[in-house]
Amino acid sequence: MPKLEDVKIINKNEFNEFVNAIIKEGKYDVVGVKEKRERFVFDQLNTANELRLDYDVTILPPKKYFLPQIEKLMDYDLSKSFDVKKSDANVPRIIIGIHPYDIIAIEQMDKYYLDSQEDDFYKKRRENTIIIGTDIQNVSKYSFAASMDTHTTDSGFDLMLTDIGNKYAITIGSKKGKNLLQEYARVKDAKKSDLRKIEKKRNLIASQYMKKVDVKKEEWSKYLVANYNNTIWKIKSDKCLSCSSCTMVCPTCYCYNVKDEVSLNLKEGERFRTWDGCLLHDFTKIGSGEVFREDTTDRFRHRFYRKGNYLPERYGFVACVGCGRCGIACLPNIADPCNMINELSHFEKSDETNKFFIKQKTEIDEKGIIHIPRSATIKRIERLTSRETLFEIELDDKKSLGHNPGQFVEVSVLGVGEAPISVSSPPTEKPTFQIVVRKVGNVTSKLFTMKTGDKIGIRGPFGNGFDVKAMGGKNIIFVCAGLGVAPLRSLYLYVTDKKNRNKFKNIKILYGCKEPNEAMFLDEFKSLENLDDYECKLTVDTCPEGECWDGEIGLITTLFPKINLDKAASQDTMAVVVGPPVVYKFVIESLKTMGFPDENIYVSLERHMKCGVGKCGHCQINGIYVCKEGPVFQYSQIKNLPEAFE
Amino acid sequence: MSMSKDFDINVEHVTRVEGHGNIVLNVKKGKIEKVQWQVSEAPRFFEAMLRGRHYDELRPITSRICGICSIGHSLASLKATEDALDIEISKQTGILRRLAINAENMQSHILHVGYLAVPDLFGVGSVFPLVGSKNQDALLKIVKLHRISNEMSDLVCGRTTHPIRLIVGGFSMIPTEKELLNLKKDLEDAIKMTKEVAEVVKSVAGNFPDFERETEYIALTSDDEYALYDGDIASTDTGRHPEYKDYRSIMQEFVVPHSTAKHAKHKRESYMVGALARFNLNSNQLHPIAQDVANMFELKPICYNPFMNNVAQLVEFVHNIEDSIKWIDKLVDDGIEDEKPVSVIPKAGRGVGIVEVPRGILVHDYTLDEKGRCLKANCIIPTNQNHANIQKDMEELVPQILNKPEKEIELNLEMLVRAYDPCISCSTHYIDVNFV
Amino acid sequence: MKPKVAFFDFSSCEGCQLQIANLEEEILDLINIVDVVSFREVMKEHSDDYDIAFIEGSIMRPMDAARLREIRSRAKILVALGACATIGGINKIRNQWPPEDVKKEVYGDADLENNEYFDVFETKAINEVVPVDYYIHGCPINRDEFKHVVTSLALGKKPNIPNYPVCVECKKNENVCLFEQGKFCLGPITRAGCGAICPTNGSTCDGCRGLLKKPEVECVMEILERYDLTYEELKSRSLLYNYGRDECP
Repeated sequence: MPKLEDVKIINKNEFNEFVNAIIKEGKYDVVGVKEKRERFVFDQLNTANELRLDYDVTILPPKKYFLPQIEKLMDYDLSKSFDVKKSDANVPRIIIGIHPYDIIAIEQMDKYYLDSQEDDFYKKRRENTIIIGTDIQNVSKYSFAASMDTHTTDSGFDLMLTDIGNKYAITIGSKKGKNLLQEYARVKDAKKSDLRKIEKKRNLIASQYMKKVDVKKEEWSKYLVANYNNTIWKIKSDKCLSCSSCTMVCPTCYCYNVKDEVSLNLKEGERFRTWDGCLLHDFTKIGSGEVFREDTTDRFRHRFYRKGNYLPERYGFVACVGCGRCGIACLPNIADPCNMINELSHFEKSDETNKFFIKQKTEIDEKGIIHIPRSATIKRIERLTSRETLFEIELDDKKSLGHNPGQFVEVSVLGVGEAPISVSSPPTEKPTFQIVVRKVGNVTSKLFTMKTGDKIGIRGPFGNGFDVKAMGGKNIIFVCAGLGVAPLRSLYLYVTDKKNRNKFKNIKILYGCKEPNEAMFLDEFKSLENLDDYECKLTVDTCPEGECWDGEIGLITTLFPKINLDKAASQDTMAVVVGPPVVYKFVIESLKTMGFPDENIYVSLERHMKCGVGKCGHCQINGIYVCKEGPVFQYSQIKNLPEAFE
Repeated sequence: MSMSKDFDINVEHVTRVEGHGNIVLNVKKGKIEKVQWQVSEAPRFFEAMLRGRHYDELRPITSRICGICSIGHSLASLKATEDALDIEISKQTGILRRLAINAENMQSHILHVGYLAVPDLFGVGSVFPLVGSKNQDALLKIVKLHRISNEMSDLVCGRTTHPIRLIVGGFSMIPTEKELLNLKKDLEDAIKMTKEVAEVVKSVAGNFPDFERETEYIALTSDDEYALYDGDIASTDTGRHPEYKDYRSIMQEFVVPHSTAKHAKHKRESYMVGALARFNLNSNQLHPIAQDVANMFELKPICYNPFMNNVAQLVEFVHNIEDSIKWIDKLVDDGIEDEKPVSVIPKAGRGVGIVEVPRGILVHDYTLDEKGRCLKANCIIPTNQNHANIQKDMEELVPQILNKPEKEIELNLEMLVRAYDPCISCSTHYIDVNFV
Repeated sequence: MKPKVAFFDFSSCEGCQLQIANLEEEILDLINIVDVVSFREVMKEHSDDYDIAFIEGSIMRPMDAARLREIRSRAKILVALGACATIGGINKIRNQWPPEDVKKEVYGDADLENNEYFDVFETKAINEVVPVDYYIHGCPINRDEFKHVVTSLALGKKPNIPNYPVCVECKKNENVCLFEQGKFCLGPITRAGCGAICPTNGSTCDGCRGLLKKPEVECVMEILERYDLTYEELKSRSLLYNYGRDECP
């Protein structure tokens, strides 16, 4: 309940005058709740008469003003060398009529977007917006906000209106709100009886909720975690159209995709982001075309876990405010979390609520511009195989990338797109670094055609790299399978470097690929043979007729018996494994047989990483972001994540 | 020289016309053995598509008969359906539909005159060479006028090709006053631009052959306005025919072996429909600036030169703009209502809808069962009605130009076909079936 | 080197090619980045030397199939333009009846033997006759999607065509759902990319861009029940553009 000194009274006519005054002023884009056929929407107000503060729920939540359906990030000009202009949409706005549950949802979005890697587009919109909320007057039959305790709120707004008969009580929530009232409205001070009226109104609204959730918010996680493999997910998802309407209308959903579009003259282009949904089949698609969570059941289930378990573990609140929009929007009527949790409450629950999450300090405390790439030049190109190329990149601002081994960068080819690529060179003071690119999708195929002197964009470095400290004083065995050699190279060149060599004990490098013509860095491996306490074994799966190969032949796991590794040593050895998903299963099995504890095994996982900063949502593996908690993981952290080794 | 000429002209798939048609001319020893306008377009059997379909679906299907006159087919279809179901549309719907048909006429005419016909007058194969030439300015104006026309039909119909908002009983969505007033501004700009384009066309209009052949012209006519959306069938030979359901007594179709499209005749062996026909019947109802443009080209009724159909289209383009401005003013003055379409109670019945589309008079004739499903359907397409006239014009024109070089004869014959602005794929969609 | 581009049409209303003319001023950009060597509807010139062929319309007759095969043999890239080409569209409605029946209905007893103009078989989409490289869906096509495909091809990247339902775009437009208005919309099972233009204009989606899911699936049945609609209506509606299709291109 608000404090008396924060509440003002205005009669309804004068409130309309206030609204018309701010519209007329022309300084703000004034939006409010309006009718649209049988429903309601937030839209630009022409006069106060259009306002429908008696609405039940809008089709889309006000999130569209903070994360628009389509938002331009930058313009670029392909006819120039690297001409990028950050978009600067800056409209001061007043939104009238936001319900408490939507206000709470906005506060939740603040946690996602204004973390240590602030989204500056979101930030600007937030700073430029004045929120005038309203207490609910009519309850939607699909909403269960009262049992989520989101039907009222005492924070998150600049002003809050409560209809108390022929007047409004306006609660002041911020200086911005106070100033707005002072400038444009004629208000009176509130009396104690007015506060009682507010309370009465709120209680009345609470009693109108027909729909209730039977499980307290704090307990949702427990039922979810215990029922990951419950058949209920398949039963429900059989009806799912994967239309993602549920995520589109949800006030706490904020995943987005980023695209490049070029105009027909092939000069001007823009990069923009647009709402994406985890229910869509291609949400997790990577450059090679592979899709994770391919089954509708997996995607359907994922959304509930994200709302009820993953995000709560990460931030401490349930990412559902009971607005009921998904219940309205879902045609087969399966999206409603209230119904879902109520059904799950008939099953077991478990206290292991962090089962699908990793608590890890990964925050890169850098409030930089996270979406706009920096200009970089291709300095050297080395064709390694028919599919892979090494690029030596120099940042044009001549600063060092400042990366740790195992981190990745987002490489932009303007007009084509952006792709996440591991850094292949060890950390250095110089402004150059190397990446190995395999030609699979649009961006990588375009890179393949580029020449020295061409410009690309770089964002990053991102991600959680190899824990070099933990490896100090230990033996290290590198298992590089196929393209896995690319990220591992940044680490093994680091540990074998003269300056660092004595920090580590025995070093073994195992490298395997399909055929000899796919092998990379053979000369480099040869040059390392002079090192002390070092062993290197190379293998190919098969050696076709006519090709030369003087290494081993057989799967990479066949190399393990050939190196001298006893069970005792494995306690003191770190195994670092990177390769295609199918390889992990067998390699880790072998390592376990050799006595490696789970904490000593490191892997690097690949998913669709778009933003690189844990916001776009594409790289999720259960409750973790590969771009934030990974891509490097200890096997002990992820062995119980059902989605880790899909 | 011409007496002993032996040559063949075979234009397969005439360019810069909608649809596929061939011109064949065989001359032996200076004598014309064969002159033929052939339609080789694949029959699309639209009659089959309408079998048993719900009255709601007839408009979306028949709209796809033609991409350029999809609004026209839609309106004829809706008029026929509403006629069969005894539905009376509101005044506002009538006005909005007039705006729609004006927009279509404008879009089609400026495309035809600007992109398809005018290149011949400049001696080029298409508009593309005009880019960078001294006529680039005229080309850009033509493009802008085309865009304004499309934006107008996008606004009123939701989409210019295959109009979404046109439904039985009215509109699925109504434009706002703000949108209409913005449109009016664009239309007022358009008038000025059109005059400039007309000047450019006039400067080369002398390149149209000076050819005449006495012809019957058929179009809608009305006491209230230059008829496009509503009117009675009228003929320059026989006057007005208010019995609209009896259109077959005027439009008599027949099959010819060298054409997958039917031909039509009335009192003579052929007749012409389209802008020139409308002009010849209704020119006194043109708005003033359109009248000025007609005078500029000395176009007067009755004009028997088919090449002047191009000029008549330009005149109509101006008239449509003036007409649209008038209707927008009326809508804004009366106040625009967010009307829902008239509700439908399905019943059995026969309905006929006749409108003027850019290429001429169009008829849709439906018979519905008691559930409102289509039992029987027939369409008379404008270009069907022109095929016979094209043939006759060719037969008369060729002897007059036989002395010219082959390339010029070929060009003149192509220009003749183009002047009709034929919509050939439409014309292979005649519907004339009884289903049980 | 600018890619050489040609436009061809078969049995269609030519509305899709009209959308290219409807690019208005941008058509001048188009002719700057590609060399249009054949476009019968607006150009007299024609050349048989082209890299990219855009095909509008369906195939109805052996003579059309033969012409299409020739075009395929000349073009490096073949793009199907519009519903008639990509999925058969409205043209396929007549496939419900054998071609012989339909011919008899229309032409009666006229002697059409050995007349190749009238030698009609079942309507076919382009990919039922030759391999197609890219599809531009819709009836008519969406100009923005056309521009995206052309610029993608010009930049050497694969075009990005949505693989999700119209609902995504409809919700982004904040339309009131047609089902809530008591109408039957095919949006939930139709490919997006049109900006949900029909629902945005108050009309139901009729699936002109191709269905993503066959109408027989369980999920659709639930919706039919909930909104009191019949399976027959669904089948009938889905036949408008998607008759007889099992797979979506």
